[in-house]
Amino acid sequence: MMYRSAAGRRYNRRFFPTIAAYVVALFGATWAIKTWQPDGVLLIALSILPALPIIAVLAVIGLYVVEETDEYQRARIVSAMMIGTGIMLALATSWGFLEESDVVPHLPAYWAFIVWCAAWGAAQCFAAFRERLAGGGE
Amino acid sequence: MKNALRELRAERGWSQQHLADALEVSRQSVNAIETGRYDPSLPLAFKIADLFGRAIEDIFVNPAKDNGQ
Repeated sequence: MMYRSAAGRRYNRRFFPTIAAYVVALFGATWAIKTWQPDGVLLIALSILPALPIIAVLAVIGLYVVEETDEYQRARIVSAMMIGTGIMLALATSWGFLEESDVVPHLPAYWAFIVWCAAWGAAQCFAAFRERLAGGGE
Repeated sequence: MKNALRELRAERGWSQQHLADALEVSRQSVNAIETGRYDPSLPLAFKIADLFGRAIEDIFVNPAKDNGQ
């Protein structure tokens, strides 16, 4: 959850409808592919459909970073994102090489986004915990 | 960066939240600056200085000249 600035409130207003659109697109596309078993352009269009709201989520996150006027909060979130990016790249690279040696099964590439979100969230929690440990608050 | 923010705030009897509202930042930002965990940008440092009617160097200690006292 973002810090509750005006930018944070705008983030929430944009995030929840976008993630709802993702759920609809995911279930809709899965159902349509199973039911109609399309091929060609329609299959490509239906397959890419759930990715579009996820790309929109990235834009929503980017807008928050641009619009956040509290520079400390922005720096904290961007640092956590960088940690998330590092963890995601480290895991994706390791997994790729393990996969090539048949040590681990193949994973769809969209797991990169899931891992990034989880690692970013964990980094945010760690930053908040460290802040609490540092004290000085009133 | 060491600074006199906490002392200046205490002189006026302001809470961290009160100062945060005056600076239009979060209370966490004020706390992070006071405890030296975050160095504000020049625009924010000027805003802080203006609010207390001081020069920036009266509030923030130049790290190059900090003798540790």
